[in-house]
Amino acid sequence: MPVAERARASTSGALAVRDRRGAARLHRPERVAGFVFIAPAVLLFLVFVGYPILRTVYLGFTTWSGFGDPQWAALANYRRMVADPVARAAFVHTLAFAAVTTVLQTALPLVVAVLVNSTWRRFGVLARTLLFVPGIVSMVVTGVMWRLVLDPNLGLLNRGLRAVGAESLATSWLGESATALPAIVVVSLWQSLGLTVLIFFAGLQGIDPTLYEAAETDGAGPVQQFVHITVPGLRIVTGIVVSLNLISGFKVFDLIYVMTQGGPNHASESLGTRLYSLAFGSTSGSVPQFGYASSLSVVVLLLCTFAVVLQTWLTRRSTR
Amino acid sequence: MSRRPTPLTLDATAPPAAPVEPPTAPAGVRRRSLLSAGAAALGAAPLLGACGGGDTSSSGGTTTVRVWTWYSEQQEEFPRLVEEFQAKNPSIKVENRIFGSPDQYLPALAAAVSGGDVPEIFAPHIRALSYGEAGVSADLKAELGDEFLSDFFQSTIDEYTLDGKQYALGWMAQTFGVFYNPDLLAAAGVTGEPETWDDLIAAADKVNATGKSAVAISASPSTSGLDFFLPLLAQIADDPTYYLRLDKLDGVDYTDTVVVQALELMQKIVRGGVFQPGANGTSGDQANQLFFTEGSAMLFNGSFAPQGFVLNAPPEFVQKYKVMQTPALAPGARHYTANQAGAGLAVSATSKAKDAALEFLRFIYSPEQYTKTMNASNSMPSTKSAAAEVSNPVLKQMTSWLLDGNGVPHIPFGAGSSEAGGPLATMFDDTGEPADVARQMQEAVTSARG
Repeated sequence: MPVAERARASTSGALAVRDRRGAARLHRPERVAGFVFIAPAVLLFLVFVGYPILRTVYLGFTTWSGFGDPQWAALANYRRMVADPVARAAFVHTLAFAAVTTVLQTALPLVVAVLVNSTWRRFGVLARTLLFVPGIVSMVVTGVMWRLVLDPNLGLLNRGLRAVGAESLATSWLGESATALPAIVVVSLWQSLGLTVLIFFAGLQGIDPTLYEAAETDGAGPVQQFVHITVPGLRIVTGIVVSLNLISGFKVFDLIYVMTQGGPNHASESLGTRLYSLAFGSTSGSVPQFGYASSLSVVVLLLCTFAVVLQTWLTRRSTR
Repeated sequence: MSRRPTPLTLDATAPPAAPVEPPTAPAGVRRRSLLSAGAAALGAAPLLGACGGGDTSSSGGTTTVRVWTWYSEQQEEFPRLVEEFQAKNPSIKVENRIFGSPDQYLPALAAAVSGGDVPEIFAPHIRALSYGEAGVSADLKAELGDEFLSDFFQSTIDEYTLDGKQYALGWMAQTFGVFYNPDLLAAAGVTGEPETWDDLIAAADKVNATGKSAVAISASPSTSGLDFFLPLLAQIADDPTYYLRLDKLDGVDYTDTVVVQALELMQKIVRGGVFQPGANGTSGDQANQLFFTEGSAMLFNGSFAPQGFVLNAPPEFVQKYKVMQTPALAPGARHYTANQAGAGLAVSATSKAKDAALEFLRFIYSPEQYTKTMNASNSMPSTKSAAAEVSNPVLKQMTSWLLDGNGVPHIPFGAGSSEAGGPLATMFDDTGEPADVARQMQEAVTSARG
């Protein structure tokens, strides 16, 4: 076993022993005190997270307009969801958005982080700052700003294309069914790049530099070092990034809502935008459809749960 | 429903505080004290919860009236109205809250209604009639009387009326037309205002030849596209009530010949090069911007557009732009165009402060206050008396259209009706065929109704 791994195993073992000893030494009053101290957090969780989740699951089995009492509808909302072409399209778009953004928002930041850590190191803080700036801009501001950039007539992108003689490439980026969702994916990537690079960058600092030195001595090139040292060394970090990207992809709402409201003709509709328009928008006309919207949000919840389970599994697998 | 605040006090009715144990107390006593403290903390939760929510009724002889809207057009006028009203009515306190947009406003209103704590005065949006039926909104005909309502334009009265009950009042009326830049039309060789759609297509051809777009329009979100399309139904059917029936799918649906013919007319307009490229990707603000930066010679928009021009356009542009009626089907035919009051005000039926709310409503709709408010915010009034006093010349011209009977409904109140805007996008980008789009509209609406 390598020295570093032995050291880690030894440290974690010692901690575990101390934990067990610590727990055994707790007197009952101290345990009660512990419960009392965590009670506010548990209470807040139950009130603001636990209850709303249970209530949403319940509402998914009802029809409810937001006033009066919910009417029990059993699986009617879920049957409707299967038959509803817009819900089906929203489901497919959500999966596609989550898959594509997860791949892009994991692979590209990983490469950029490695470059920042090695080749671009002389730019140091400046490079990291420039990369991180989009991440501190809120999604809504990001959406509004990019909507201006992508304006078909006055937008920076099309004007730039016309200026360089590439007018044939200029299009209504958010107004065409074929380009609306891809354009939003690019904006999502731009927004998330900095934070993800920072996560990978932090992970890179944990890889023993002697491994690279040894590999270089053995004649391994940059690509081989990346594949055989960097990628395995970042396995846990990558699992977390994948999980975060999947969750944010499954529950995507703000960026799409600000940029296209799911249009044109539902070409960029996600489960998040659809359930919002059914519950709070004008889609339902004068009577909101909270029951059906809740059933859609249950699907989002299940997808996010899948992402968390996947991340847990990946982490356990990596630490074996 | 109003609710008194429940203050957190240390009076005789409050749960006893847990005794503080000295550090040397036995373990068992400490346990009890800790459990007591925990129980007290848990017991306080309902009290803390009761502190939330709105304060709507009397407190120390003052009645509070909450006003919730998204009407930022009057963000400077409402404080003045509140101040003057409170000076005359010291026992009433008005809490005015203007949300940034309907997107921010509607979830808050839905939560308030669901929680049974409705603000005394609120913008009902498209929920006006269903809130009325559910007993959330008061019948203002019964509360304010016929004489009070008689000053309102009929179109703004009709949209909020159900079974003879008046569930809201129009605040800002709206009608649509074609704004135009006379200089750009003259430069393109367009003389006079296009009267028919054929005239507009001919004018568009000339404008496009100058390198400008003819008419800027927003079809994003898709309901903006409906603002343009739905009045075409009235033009084809020569019936201003046609959409009211279609909205309810009452005897007609979207596969009806009238709808298909209206879509054919729209296809002709789109293929005539009337609109700027990418209407589906153009928001309302971006369409306005294209117009006042002289990227287009004309703009199809509502009577709320001049407010934006005053705020955002160059002053010289504000001085020169003009407006004409939406083109007609043929010379001499009616210029049917969208006309309703998207912005209205409703009163909570169950609030203990309802009388105070009605008093505030009477005050802000008094001819003197209402006219001043509408003129100061460049808004189109919903009452005839205020319409007679409109100061902005463009708005004055548009307001005059409310009296000639060319206004038709365009707000999709019906369940699922706004979904018809989705397939309409394929008409704006000319990828759809009228008969197919009509069928898709019907399917979209039916599916969204559930």
